[in-house]
Amino acid sequence: MKSSSHPALLARRRFLPAVLGLWMAVLSTGCGRDEPSEGATATGTAERLTVGIAFETLQTEYWVAGYEALKSECARRGFKVLEAVADGDANRQLEQVKNFITRRVDGIILVPKDAKTCLPAIRAANAAGIPIVLFNRPAAQSDATSVAVVADNPGLARATVDYMIGEARKTGRKHQAMILMGDLGDINAIGRRDGFDAAVAAAPDVIEVVSRIPTEWNQEKAQAGVVNGLQANPGIRFIFSSSDFLFPSIVSALKAAGKYHRIGDPGHVILGGIDGDATAWQMLQDGYLDATGVQDVYFEAAQSVEALVALREGRDVASVILDPGFVIHQGNFREMAEKTWGANVGK
Amino acid sequence: MGSPALTGLHDRLGAAASRAGRSGFLILGLSILLFLALAPFTPALASKGNALNLVGNLVPLFVVATGLTVVLISGGMDLSLTSIIALTSVVGAMVMNGDTGWLAGSPLAAPTAVAVMLLLGAAAGLINGVAVALLRMPAFIVTLTTMMFFSGLAIWISQSKPVDRLPDGFIALGSRPGIAVGIAAVLGGWAHLMLTRSLFGRWLHAVGQNPRTARVSGVPVAGVLIAAYVVSGVFAAAASVLYTARLETGSPVHGQRLLLDVLGATVIGGTSLFGGRGRVAWTLCGVLFLTLLDNALNLLGLSHFTIMMVKGGVILLAALLDGWRSRMLYGS
Repeated sequence: MKSSSHPALLARRRFLPAVLGLWMAVLSTGCGRDEPSEGATATGTAERLTVGIAFETLQTEYWVAGYEALKSECARRGFKVLEAVADGDANRQLEQVKNFITRRVDGIILVPKDAKTCLPAIRAANAAGIPIVLFNRPAAQSDATSVAVVADNPGLARATVDYMIGEARKTGRKHQAMILMGDLGDINAIGRRDGFDAAVAAAPDVIEVVSRIPTEWNQEKAQAGVVNGLQANPGIRFIFSSSDFLFPSIVSALKAAGKYHRIGDPGHVILGGIDGDATAWQMLQDGYLDATGVQDVYFEAAQSVEALVALREGRDVASVILDPGFVIHQGNFREMAEKTWGANVGK
Repeated sequence: MGSPALTGLHDRLGAAASRAGRSGFLILGLSILLFLALAPFTPALASKGNALNLVGNLVPLFVVATGLTVVLISGGMDLSLTSIIALTSVVGAMVMNGDTGWLAGSPLAAPTAVAVMLLLGAAAGLINGVAVALLRMPAFIVTLTTMMFFSGLAIWISQSKPVDRLPDGFIALGSRPGIAVGIAAVLGGWAHLMLTRSLFGRWLHAVGQNPRTARVSGVPVAGVLIAAYVVSGVFAAAASVLYTARLETGSPVHGQRLLLDVLGATVIGGTSLFGGRGRVAWTLCGVLFLTLLDNALNLLGLSHFTIMMVKGGVILLAALLDGWRSRMLYGS
């Protein structure tokens, strides 16, 4: 056998072009991200902007839905989108925003890690003269300038819990209640807790809060907390979760305690949450969930992109744009399906 | 079975690769190649602004990776680095915070906070070192456990709340590239001299290569190991100073996702996971490569998931190469 036809050498000859081809494919895929999607139609503005979208995480359905809604809104307007996800690392997020600035984007939409560590990133965008909009999480008060599009968390939580209290009142007896709180470094979690507190404070004849579970937005901690809370207070008949993504933990703990029953069953524990995710939607359909406050992701995405356009055009924009959201419950959830992002996940 | 020509070629290639593999500077060449390969596709990569970004990203990672290099050379492992960053970050911020800090408003707030952070890092390293060297516990378990403990402590102390309103003098440490580079250069230079020119450096290598032989030769193995973890803790705290200053906030989750980057950069540089081999300059090359790779893939607009997969693959290749080099050098 000639050495030139040795399988190893032949493989090596094929290997190099294959590697080069793969390299070019990766580069073309990457560079292709700069191009707008085919079929995108420019509406609203003649300018074809490049928008950098930086998310802190995509770990929950809500963030994925928000990410997709923003990209859809940009595509609808014919804008290019650059993407970045920091995987929960504030320093990486700062690097990504600086990369956007290096690439001279026309605007940045940021979901910050938290209200404070995002300030250097906002300042960097300010210094570069690039408008920046914070999606769903506002920044702390500072000299850094940004626009925040956020849900009215206290109002939405209050409206949801008010509905749950109404259901509790119908039973004619006082309910022991539990709240699952989020990461109290997250202003959204604080707002939801405050909304819950305001609602239950106005109904002392119906609700007695006996258990407060700090989850730090962690499902394992939530599950352990609910198990412990139900053991310490077996009479709990009312549970409010600061986020729907904690429902699997709650359901698991309720099932273990033999307390997971449909609405109408004498043993039913009144359940409510915030977000409007696919799990909550399914629980509503199955008759286990009483209500959830829905963040209007589509409204927030549209407002975020519109705010960027307005800032670029020099128009005045409020520093905080509130998404009032809406409550879905057994009485209205079917008619609200189109507006509820959790009902559309996976479609 | 291959032909003699092929066998000879294989041997020559193997010997050349082995020589190259022994030098962490191989990775510097790869960094240059990476830059040249990607620059035409991403013009922003070669811009001045991006160079500043790169330096800003590289410096704190280099500092913490240098500390890990010392531990790896001693044959140990330190998984608690990221939690030391978090713990020292919140404690330092609580010392100098302008609202409720213990030294709020004092001109000594920033230097005192930095000193407290470094001392706390040293104390954390001491705990790791004592557990590994004197209690004879596996480094992996010790530092995994202290990672959880320090992280929990940081969250408990701060109640999960980031601490901001830090003094301008402190923030300058992270926001001005010249100062941050100066700090990294001093720390890196000290570590390099310590590893290459001091008796302690020789002891570290000896312990990493074979602790039993080192003990027989009169090396104070326990003391060397404890000192290695203390150095690692101090360097993690120094990196925490840079990260906290850069983000203008002390946070119990700073550095939480950094471990793979730190470990990856160190191993890519050529420091061995099996102990006894490593250099600060190699680590600098590894950090440069990983930072440049991350930066370039970001600038290319690749998705987060693609970047994670590419980086994971590169680090895995580096670990494979490390195993191969160890077998070449020391046999199976």
